[in-house]
Amino acid sequence: MAKGKTQSFKSRSAILLALILVLGFGAAALRIGWLQTFQAEELRKKAVAQQLTDTTLSAKRGSIYDRNMEPLAESATVWRVVLAPVYLKTDEDRRIVAKGLAEILDMDEEKIFEKSQQDSYYVELKRQIETDVRDKILAFCETLQEEHGINGNAVYLLDDYKRYYHKNELASAVIGFTGSDDQGLSGIEYQYDDLLTGTPGRLVTATNSVGTEMPFKYSQNIDAVDGSSLVLTIDSHIQAIVEKYLKEGIEENKVYNRAVGIVMDVNNGEVLAMASVGGFDLNDPFTLPEEIMAEIAKLPEKERGQAESNELSKMWRNKAVSDTYYPGSVFKMFTAAMAVEEGLVTDNSSFYCPGYYVVDGVSMGCHLTSGHGTQNFRESIKNSCNPAFMQIGELVGKEKFYKYYQAFGFSEKTGIDLPGEADDIFFSEDGSMLNVNLATASFGQNFAITPIQMATAVCAIANGGYIVQPHVVSQVLDSDGNIVSTVSTDVKRQAVSSETAAHIANILEENAVSGSGKNGYVAGYRVAGKTGTSEKKVDLNDDGIQDYIASFCGFAPAEDAEVVCLVFFDTPTGAAYYGSQVAAPVFAKIMSEVLPYLEVPTQYTDEEIENLDVTVGSYVGMNVDEAISAAEGEGFTVTVKGEGEKVLAQVPRASMNIPKGGNVVLYLDEASAKEQVEVPDLKGYNVSSVNYLASIAGINVSITGAVNSALSMSSSQSIAPGTMVSPGTVVTVNFTTGGVND
Amino acid sequence: MGKSFLNTKTNPDRAYLRAVSAEADAGTSSGNRVIRGGAPNKKKSAKKKKKGKFWYTGLGIDMPFCLMVAALLIVGTVMMFSASYPTAYAETGDSFYHLKKQLIYIGVGAVAMVLLSFVNYRIYYKWAKIILAVSFLLLIVVLILPGSGGVKRWIGFGGFTVQASEVTKLCLIIFFAYWCTKYADKMQYVKYSFLPGMAIFGATAVLLLLEPHFSGIVIVFLLTLIMLFLGGMPKKYFVVIGAVVGGVFIIALSTGLLGYAMERMDGWGQALSCEMGSDMWQTTWQTRNSLYAIGSGGIWGLGLGQSRQKYLYLPEPQNDFVFAIICEELGLIGALVILALFGILIWRGIKISRNAKDSFGRLLGCGIVAQVGLQVVLNILVITDWLPNTGISLPFFSAGGSSLIMLMAEMGIVLSVSRTSNLEKV
Repeated sequence: MAKGKTQSFKSRSAILLALILVLGFGAAALRIGWLQTFQAEELRKKAVAQQLTDTTLSAKRGSIYDRNMEPLAESATVWRVVLAPVYLKTDEDRRIVAKGLAEILDMDEEKIFEKSQQDSYYVELKRQIETDVRDKILAFCETLQEEHGINGNAVYLLDDYKRYYHKNELASAVIGFTGSDDQGLSGIEYQYDDLLTGTPGRLVTATNSVGTEMPFKYSQNIDAVDGSSLVLTIDSHIQAIVEKYLKEGIEENKVYNRAVGIVMDVNNGEVLAMASVGGFDLNDPFTLPEEIMAEIAKLPEKERGQAESNELSKMWRNKAVSDTYYPGSVFKMFTAAMAVEEGLVTDNSSFYCPGYYVVDGVSMGCHLTSGHGTQNFRESIKNSCNPAFMQIGELVGKEKFYKYYQAFGFSEKTGIDLPGEADDIFFSEDGSMLNVNLATASFGQNFAITPIQMATAVCAIANGGYIVQPHVVSQVLDSDGNIVSTVSTDVKRQAVSSETAAHIANILEENAVSGSGKNGYVAGYRVAGKTGTSEKKVDLNDDGIQDYIASFCGFAPAEDAEVVCLVFFDTPTGAAYYGSQVAAPVFAKIMSEVLPYLEVPTQYTDEEIENLDVTVGSYVGMNVDEAISAAEGEGFTVTVKGEGEKVLAQVPRASMNIPKGGNVVLYLDEASAKEQVEVPDLKGYNVSSVNYLASIAGINVSITGAVNSALSMSSSQSIAPGTMVSPGTVVTVNFTTGGVND
Repeated sequence: MGKSFLNTKTNPDRAYLRAVSAEADAGTSSGNRVIRGGAPNKKKSAKKKKKGKFWYTGLGIDMPFCLMVAALLIVGTVMMFSASYPTAYAETGDSFYHLKKQLIYIGVGAVAMVLLSFVNYRIYYKWAKIILAVSFLLLIVVLILPGSGGVKRWIGFGGFTVQASEVTKLCLIIFFAYWCTKYADKMQYVKYSFLPGMAIFGATAVLLLLEPHFSGIVIVFLLTLIMLFLGGMPKKYFVVIGAVVGGVFIIALSTGLLGYAMERMDGWGQALSCEMGSDMWQTTWQTRNSLYAIGSGGIWGLGLGQSRQKYLYLPEPQNDFVFAIICEELGLIGALVILALFGILIWRGIKISRNAKDSFGRLLGCGIVAQVGLQVVLNILVITDWLPNTGISLPFFSAGGSSLIMLMAEMGIVLSVSRTSNLEKV
């Protein structure tokens, strides 16, 4: 029996040994083996990701400069506040920390308290705090250690960066902005995000979170490589000019859906200015204008969120590349160029316009319903005559028309280095284009292109037929400011011969002087250009009235052009909606400032020299007699006010430009200097009337716009009627040629 | 001493003691036996026989087993130090904090081991009931004492703390070895095997439940089963126990009695799949980082001291999760070598016990060795997320005073058993 029991024990202990070693150890070995072979890679990756992501060091985002190295966007070092709740041992400690931090960081105490419950070395509390808050945090850490005996490492700071946009609204749609994680969300910031971002550094958490010297056997510290900086082709000065006048145009013409302005170097495709006005403050991109917020507040509550995000994306939209529009009459320069290039027309070719033209039984009218009668090729362009262009399009034919459409780059995206470029909308090559379609396309209707495509194509007319790659970034700089790469001019192809391009440019110059484009005329510069008014299919503002886009695209100087400027108003709802009335004057204003800024040499006609403004000298401090003779010597009439020996003040002030024979007022005492006159209403008169009214009122006028025609009328004045000003003040009056259609 | 146990002539205790004394005498006096211990002193041993023979050298200790213990202690201490120094530095400013403490415990443990290896294990047979009483007493005392963090597991002895359940495990092994020896002939009866076994386990479990200490209950339960199995309880009872355990588990689950353990069980098997930042992410933090460590090691490991997970990613790497850092530093190869060391220790321990001179010694030795094996397996399954994270330390490796000293004391008892075991005979 004892032996049997021993036997039983022997077998049972053998079973036990087998169970432990085979089943138990076997399972353990298999499990570990599986984890360390088949699952090893996955686990290792996760481990490494954890060891490194916890401790990403932000790289400083690169800056964005304009072409003159003026900073447009820069990142500055700020800090992020991190909590290491692992050092907080009791709820009492946690409460002290939560309370202190809530006060400093303006956060909810309960939230911080909740976060401090984790057993972690890294809980991010707030990003992008600035120096004053940082100092408070540092002081708070000291207090923790000294007064409460809490490990000061429980709260610490890591470098962080914040984006500053120095020019707020300027070029907002082009520059774009970044999100809370420093990632580019729109514009250049989005397009060049990889370059701007740089490479984040890595730091092993142990050293980082504890902040003491751990006896590390391996080093995983890699410094962050700051992002590259970008130099744009944008010139903030030109950009500011464009935005200023677009804004003015929007107000004057009650433009419903914003305006676009593009200024481009015709020879290398550099975009000097690209504006979508109204823009938004890049430092505060998520705030809609108050009036829009008021509109949204009227909506039912559940629709508000959607409406808000719609309005935001509308506000951020870069219309210059993302919008398509019917180019309208501006496109006629290309139809004309096709016909010239193919030798189908000469200047003397004659076209008859009875006020309409019939294609395949469909009658299409001219804007001048009475008809332009018989006109030659040049006159057809200057009249912007639709029946003439339907005939020219017929001459060109569908196939050739499509070929040149492609050649001018309308059928493809320009490839500009900005996000969200739209495709054109045109008939496909397969013959679906009807004769009627060709007829309407010939004068720029029923197909859609983007503003940047138009500007690029007009460059080709201006530069001898070459399609150049438009771009907004000219150089990439590394974080030390060294040039990493430079964008060179990329000529894609020649669309038409230089002769054809020069010929069209010549006609367009004539058009700007005496044709439909004369409101775009800029005295002293040989401007060429074409107006356009296109119908919109959608009634955007829902008022039941046909919507239009008023545009003007031109360049200067006509021969040997330097810049192209496109101006485009989406849905003007004022009295005027023609490109010649709405867009051309704005084009003229922009060019009259941009061309001198670019130091384009002036070429005045004799007539213009007559009207040329003269710069007022400085007479302050002179004796009365001296001053009078000096001013009269420079061609001004002089009015003296007050009593005294010496000139105390003068209006206009020195270096202002006023017309020859303008009135300079010299003040001899304090009392008279306070005297004021009222600005009269100077709108709706011809040049001589304006000059007369101004002289009666005792002010000076400076005249801009289309004054080279007997039909010229003053359309706006820089100082509102009724304003009280010092005598001699200069009021700029703009002239347009009223009633010109295209 | 022990007189109270010898009050009746039919008392099996008395019969056992008489028998083992005779055996021991035979062992020490027989000339043709290989004697590995000190020279026998007939007179002295005869004297000891009367007194119950407290000190005993017998055939001498089993050197292979002793060497395995030493080997595991050395490897274990080195690895524990490697795993612990970053945490030690971060928390105390002294990289050697845990190592120093561990070396002290090893010193104390070694003294206990050597002493106990000389103690005649038959003494425990006489004291088995008292030992069981001590176990229950400790478990009750620990409940009376103020605990920390909502659990009551530790008893302080002037700056030194003992985990009551560590003592309980050894006490139960001794008691069951005693019981199964005493009623060896009656193990087929339910009231001598199944019922007393379950009664003792049940009482212990209730006390552990109050601490609460769920992993302790699991280990005590498995130890009870092992001892009853070795003691000869019929196999049909194990089927019954299996069914009952299943039922109880389902009831506990449905009534939410598991409370504290459930919180840990919640994360069981979800360490890799849960969402970052969620509550579960925090709950499974330790297990997940353990898996990351094991996986990072791959087959060859990152090299001794090269663990990255020990840099504050894996909390308390010196305790239950020390094997994860070993896997990371020494790879699959190192892990298997260490498993093999444990395997050899267990194999040798059971072999020693099987050849012990008496039933009590056999049960005692096997029970202790099985407990070590059990802890190794459970520990590895916990750190690899096959079992819930319940706090089971790895023998010889995990830092900790009372468990290490108890473990070494137990090794001393096994060595003491080995003094009666003549392996060459087998």
